[in-house]
Amino acid sequence: MGPNGEAEVGSDGPRQKGRATPDTITIGCIAQVTKDGQPRRAEILSIKETKSGRQFYCNFDNFNKRLDEWVPVSRIDFDQDVEWPNPDKDKQKDAKSKKSTTVSKKSQPSKKAQKKVGKREQSVASEGQTPHPWTEFVESQNKVDGEDKANASLEVGGTPGLGPDEMELDEDETPASAAKKEHTQSFSREQEIEKLRTSGSMTQNPAEISRIRNISKVEFGRYVLFPWYFSPYPEVFSQEDCIYICEFCLSYYGDLKSFTRHRMKCTLQHPPGNEIYRDDFVSFYEIDGRRQRTWCRNLCLLSKMFLDHKTLYYDVDPFLFYVMTTRDDRGSHLIGYFSKEKESADGYNVACILTLPQYQRKGYGRLLIQFSYELSKIEGKLSSPEKPLSDLGLLSYRQYWSELILDLLLGYSEREEKCTIETIATRLAMTTQDVEHTLQALKMQVYHKGEHKIVIPEKLMHQREKSRAKQKRVIDPDRIQWKPPVFTAASRTWGW
Amino acid sequence: MATRKVRYKKLSVKTLLSVLREDQIDPTEYESLTNEAQIATGVEQAEENEYHLQAVLQSAGVAADKEIPVPPPQESTLNYDELYSRRFSKTSTYIRFSQTVEECIGCMYDMTEDDEAFLKSYNQKRAASAQLSEDDFEKIMDVFEDTSYIKAPFASIDQTIVPYQDMLQGLQDLDNAKVMPHAKDIYEYWKSRRQALNNQPLHPTLKFEKHQDSDEADPYVCFRRREVRQTRKTRARDVQSAEKLKRLRKELEEGRQLVLAAHQRELLKAEMLKADRAIFELRAQLKEHKIRLGIKTDDEDLINQKVSSPLFIFCHTQFDTDTSQPQKRKAPEAPAVQRPPPPTQLRIAARSDGRPTEADLSLLADRLAEKENELRADIEKKVQSHNEWNRNHLDLTRGPLSPVHEPRQDVSFRPAKTQYLMTPPTSASGASLEEPTPMELDKPQNPQPVFKFRGVARDEESRENPPAYRRRIGRLNRLWIDRRGMASPPREVSAEVLDRWKYDQSSDDEDDPPLYEVDPFDTNALRFRASIPLPLWMTNRAAVPNARAPLPPPQQPPQPQQPQQPVSQPQPQPQLPPPAQAAAAAAAG
Repeated sequence: MGPNGEAEVGSDGPRQKGRATPDTITIGCIAQVTKDGQPRRAEILSIKETKSGRQFYCNFDNFNKRLDEWVPVSRIDFDQDVEWPNPDKDKQKDAKSKKSTTVSKKSQPSKKAQKKVGKREQSVASEGQTPHPWTEFVESQNKVDGEDKANASLEVGGTPGLGPDEMELDEDETPASAAKKEHTQSFSREQEIEKLRTSGSMTQNPAEISRIRNISKVEFGRYVLFPWYFSPYPEVFSQEDCIYICEFCLSYYGDLKSFTRHRMKCTLQHPPGNEIYRDDFVSFYEIDGRRQRTWCRNLCLLSKMFLDHKTLYYDVDPFLFYVMTTRDDRGSHLIGYFSKEKESADGYNVACILTLPQYQRKGYGRLLIQFSYELSKIEGKLSSPEKPLSDLGLLSYRQYWSELILDLLLGYSEREEKCTIETIATRLAMTTQDVEHTLQALKMQVYHKGEHKIVIPEKLMHQREKSRAKQKRVIDPDRIQWKPPVFTAASRTWGW
Repeated sequence: MATRKVRYKKLSVKTLLSVLREDQIDPTEYESLTNEAQIATGVEQAEENEYHLQAVLQSAGVAADKEIPVPPPQESTLNYDELYSRRFSKTSTYIRFSQTVEECIGCMYDMTEDDEAFLKSYNQKRAASAQLSEDDFEKIMDVFEDTSYIKAPFASIDQTIVPYQDMLQGLQDLDNAKVMPHAKDIYEYWKSRRQALNNQPLHPTLKFEKHQDSDEADPYVCFRRREVRQTRKTRARDVQSAEKLKRLRKELEEGRQLVLAAHQRELLKAEMLKADRAIFELRAQLKEHKIRLGIKTDDEDLINQKVSSPLFIFCHTQFDTDTSQPQKRKAPEAPAVQRPPPPTQLRIAARSDGRPTEADLSLLADRLAEKENELRADIEKKVQSHNEWNRNHLDLTRGPLSPVHEPRQDVSFRPAKTQYLMTPPTSASGASLEEPTPMELDKPQNPQPVFKFRGVARDEESRENPPAYRRRIGRLNRLWIDRRGMASPPREVSAEVLDRWKYDQSSDDEDDPPLYEVDPFDTNALRFRASIPLPLWMTNRAAVPNARAPLPPPQQPPQPQQPQQPVSQPQPQPQLPPPAQAAAAAAAG
């Protein structure tokens, strides 16, 4: 955390601690909640009444949001102190953040600059400006732990820090209106918007509704999916137990009858675009976001349920979607996809990439990544996925990168040739930064006797042998029937 | 970096690096050399420290079995085969597809469970035949939703409910007679549903930007347009493009109007044809009646006669097409009607047949006579005007075959070369023919003249001016024979000449002007041409060759017997004083 962040955490100050009951505990409180049999610190993000009693939406300390869940009273440990939210933090933050956003706004007047927010350097900078109470809090907590303990007993009877904003958040209220009230008072609007625009994930505001999963269950083809994140499907869907998504046109229904009727009429059996790759196993389709606006929007909504940092702030027009499917006698079933800007100022070859949960851990993600690089090879560009990556995305890419680089280096080592980072990058259509980062992550890059060297660790070689044995499928570049699409200025502007 | 003990050179991407295996380097050394620097992961910093990610990252290269836990998917309990019953046939080639979702999912309205309940109770009250199917229900609802969306886009804000009248157009466009009786009832249901939903679309929709302040931070509002578009400067090129678009639109609209007008016209034509056919059928009926009742007038002829009068053709084609398919009727009829050259008046005549048939049917014979008279009168009028036009002029062109037909020869005549005819044309040969005899001009001892003209008979009268002939080559190597000393016989107007205009006339029909086949080298023709008299004023003028025959087409070779034919006739041989008064004769070139 930068100094900026520290200051804000400091203003947040040591939280008040005290005992709570299921009735007095409020949104924003941090309590010990059992997760997988282990007590973990968790923040209460929402409270609802169900037939079986009150339930609390918990975000667990240092767990990804996809593991957030509704827990019954029984899983919250009320024998321990809870940490109350600080009532006064909002005003201070508001004043502070406004300053910082004016700066950031100035620095991002153009489209290009806005896009760059996603880039690594800038996202670090914006981290400083945009507070993340949760992690900041956790960190600050470690420092001030001792003091807190001292204060704790004093404040047992202290008023729980009920801000007027939290009080207003009634279960009956629609989430949106609650959110509106919420952020007018608590978090800097500009920051929220900026965050929404650039990353799609809003972690700043504890009561922000988009932190809370709005769809609980999705019927999709042969599978039932349990969404990980918020997705801006129609608001009424948040009241449905289950929503139904057509496997082919990706239309969404809250009503089973409607969905059944739709299925009787829907004639789509594969993604509505041109097939550009086919092998015995998978196919790839290229879909223009402008031409297939509805389908691509539907795809984005679907994928938003599994991508935290996907933004649906803007429309799908400037993107191409490369969709991977598997065929059977019912059609081409969506496995995953990646989207790609028609023209990327930053040389990204992937904007968003997703393998649907039912196909995860089967090697499909690797195929998607490989395909994105095969396209870059055809284009003759060195490119990289757009940042930020998700945790799963990072692992997939690291895996792909390291395997390919390792294979390449083994060849060099056998031939006892030297190589440069650039040659590796060119061979793999990767950016040199990605190559370097991978080498560093694998601890292969050393400075030895006044020279930079690449050392291939023994264990990596063993690992690679194992994974090579496991790996069944790769993309065959010869089967790609694709030319880089050309978009004239007019076609970008007017859609001709 | 600053904390590093060994400060090392910056690594350039172009630096050649040696690639070593771990066993090629001292392992203990390697351990200490590995770069412990924090590597940028590209993950959102707030999430970088997440427990499961760190767990996996720490184990990178150690064990690959650590995974990030995710909520697991499940098998669906819905009947997949029923929901996705369509079979997918694999194509042998890569699929190319550009239809949009909207084009693939049929009716946009999908009935809900509430709709289903309503429709069930609605149909219960009705007989099986009058029930409303789910498909039709959806179509009606789709019209309501669609019309409402177009006519009241802000229905949820201003609470307007589009009245039923406005829906009618859309319902009619469905072109489905079955739905109309239900439409009003369904409308009431639709209205109640809309009101229950605060007048929002019945299908849940995404939230799009409405350019209100609240939009910006609302996470439900998605797929905004990029502002870049709006702030973009309008360039001259864009203005041009916009202009082009406008013009294109206007032109397309004009084209559309044209097509509409043409469609209208064709409809009218069809109407007309129908009416014509009705008329014809009535006439046919009438005829039958007449036959049955034994009314005998000459009208019957009109229909039965095989006269190729346009009227008859018209009736005939109609009669023919009656038996063929009605669609085909139009095609054969139209040309038949148009084929006769003066169709309009005749068509009108045919059309006027709606009147009592007796009067009509009797017309044909009269009409033919009338037509004949008309033509005759017309021709006579033309003759009159022609004569009028020729008054005070001497008409040298009366004889159609007269060589003086071409007036330009008068002016352009130039004796380019004059020579005496030494021998007959070289092409003259043939055993059957007499030996070519030289002209008396060259061989005066030869008693026979080359030609014998009828006009020569008068030679006795004008001894001092005996006929003489001269051969010369004119323009285009045409051979001319000049004659002189011929007295022009007085022009007598015979009866056969008098009516020549009849055949001469290029009549009002489009036929080629009558062609009289005449062999220009036929003796009679030659003789006739030679005897063509000259008016006195011309003969009196000296040295003006005024009568020349146009040359016959050059492809016809000169006939050698021509000069000889007159020779065979026992005629006195004219003398030959070279300077001669002109007289024309035809010859071969």
